[in-house]
Amino acid sequence: MTDQELDAVYTALCRALGELDHEQALMLLSRFALLAMLEIDSPDRLHELIGQAAEPA
Amino acid sequence: MVSTALKPYPFEFVKRKSVWHDKGRVERQPVVIAGGGVAGLTLALALAVQGVRSVVLEADDSVCFGSRAICISRRSLEIFERLGIAGALLDKGLAWTSGRSFYRQQEVLHFSMPQDDDQHLPPMINIQQYYVEEFLVRALEKHAGLVDIRWSSRLIGLEQRSGSVVVEVEHEGRRHTLEGEWLAACDGGRSTVRDALGLSLRGTAYEGAYVIADIELETNLPTERLAWFDPPSNPGETILMHRQPDNIWRIDYQIGKDEDPEKAVLPENVLPRIQAHLEMIDETGKWAPLWISLYRANALALEHFRHERVFFVGDAAHLVPIFGVRGANSAIDDADNLAWKLAHVVGRGAGEELLDSYSSERAHAARENLQQGMKSTEFMAPPSNGFQLMRRAVLSLASKAPGVRPLINPRQTSAIRYAESSALAQHDDEELFRHGPQRGSVLQNLPLRLIDAKGRQSSIHLTQLLRPGEYLLLVFGNEPDAACEASRAVKELPAEWAVRLLFVCSSMLEPVAQEHVVDSGARMAALYDAEPGTAYLVRPDGYVFGRWRSLSASVLATALCSMSGGAVKEAWHD
Repeated sequence: MTDQELDAVYTALCRALGELDHEQALMLLSRFALLAMLEIDSPDRLHELIGQAAEPA
Repeated sequence: MVSTALKPYPFEFVKRKSVWHDKGRVERQPVVIAGGGVAGLTLALALAVQGVRSVVLEADDSVCFGSRAICISRRSLEIFERLGIAGALLDKGLAWTSGRSFYRQQEVLHFSMPQDDDQHLPPMINIQQYYVEEFLVRALEKHAGLVDIRWSSRLIGLEQRSGSVVVEVEHEGRRHTLEGEWLAACDGGRSTVRDALGLSLRGTAYEGAYVIADIELETNLPTERLAWFDPPSNPGETILMHRQPDNIWRIDYQIGKDEDPEKAVLPENVLPRIQAHLEMIDETGKWAPLWISLYRANALALEHFRHERVFFVGDAAHLVPIFGVRGANSAIDDADNLAWKLAHVVGRGAGEELLDSYSSERAHAARENLQQGMKSTEFMAPPSNGFQLMRRAVLSLASKAPGVRPLINPRQTSAIRYAESSALAQHDDEELFRHGPQRGSVLQNLPLRLIDAKGRQSSIHLTQLLRPGEYLLLVFGNEPDAACEASRAVKELPAEWAVRLLFVCSSMLEPVAQEHVVDSGARMAALYDAEPGTAYLVRPDGYVFGRWRSLSASVLATALCSMSGGAVKEAWHD
């Protein structure tokens, strides 16, 4: 994925979230995370990513 | 815009006067330019160096005041170099190549813009707009016979006729009438000309507001673009810092959604925030505010930049967000694009349809700039909770996940490619090239050796070979056949087309028959995917008009005819 492609999908996700209220946005991100898990298809990698995402922002 | 002037800028704003000599008669000029800001002055100078006369109408009696554009891109410097003022800008401006972004106090991005020996100009300089305008005015004063800046002269009305535009002007309480063959509206975001024609900008206006301040501060901080997201000094805010000449710093910060912008811009609210920020970065020296104003991002443009005999240039045609520094830089590119086309129509007999390509090319560039500017704005001033949430995610992950860092990059301005235009070759060999600057792109710069007709050598960069109003035909190879054909092609063209032929040779030609450039190590040939006989025709504004594997006299003449229109075509056939 190029920087431009990353930028484009990032913007698409921002726009999708912007149309939702807080609870709906949380649901979108949860569903997206589940779909991404299936695509990544690596339990070890997914555990690492969950750990990284869970660190204080 | 709410604004507050504080300590004076350390700059002498010369009050300039002008006199109208029309004595009740209607004065006629080839080109009238409404607005003497960066766009109008650049256009006037670009016309003057091509021998085209213009009059500039400027409502004020001095160059601009306050916090305007400060970042001038390499592309703009290349244009100014052709106009003869790059030296003054480089002497005064502060060159920079990189920037840093911080989340809270942690650095999360360090970006660099390309800078190597292939470039003779920095990717960006910081310089106050009043210096840019002052240098333009001084250069214009040397062309006094070709340009007249009418200070304190405000355009108040206009009428389009067949073959001319008549404008009404107010100067020191008196009215004057001026008739121009062409009118360039360079009169800014609140363009009077645009209103008079009943036109309006369309696009997106963002709600978020920024405070923009200029302060005087002595410090050893380097010249970089500095950005802080959610800094401890001002939690939740985004703060930008840019160094300018004369120890002046531009500080921008976004104000909160719940804040009243009118109150937020008052000095008693601005100064403590700046103080807190300076303390956070250990800047404890004395500082003084020079300017405070409020900014809201807009991404707006006209659909067409030509309306009969009126052209819209710069902010009058498009308002781009400040993030990514596309405002003044795109105005300079607009002026450069329009100037050579107007000069070819007014002074060299090209058909008026050439001027339509100004609108199509620069409206396309504006749309691209708006897209990029909106991207920058969406990160710098998130327009919704979605953008806000995702930005926090990016910033908080950036230190450990380098892959997300490009999303923080401010996406600085770059020259826009014109993929399709009537002012480009309609039939060239573009599809036969694997790389190198495409038709409709700007040149890729590199160092060369120029050998003049007397055999004298000098070091030069490719973009420095461009001269105002001239096409540049670059033909690769030392082969006599290609040389003869190219020379014949150029000799058969009408002189007013002003095509400068330069051979790009791997070694110096012996004996020296005419000027050429030496491409040591065949670097340019490799970068431009060139073989012996390959030809690049470059427009006066530095854009590749077309490229061919071999170029005959008839192909060259036909390509230029199709762009320049009927008048020149007849001249050629005569």
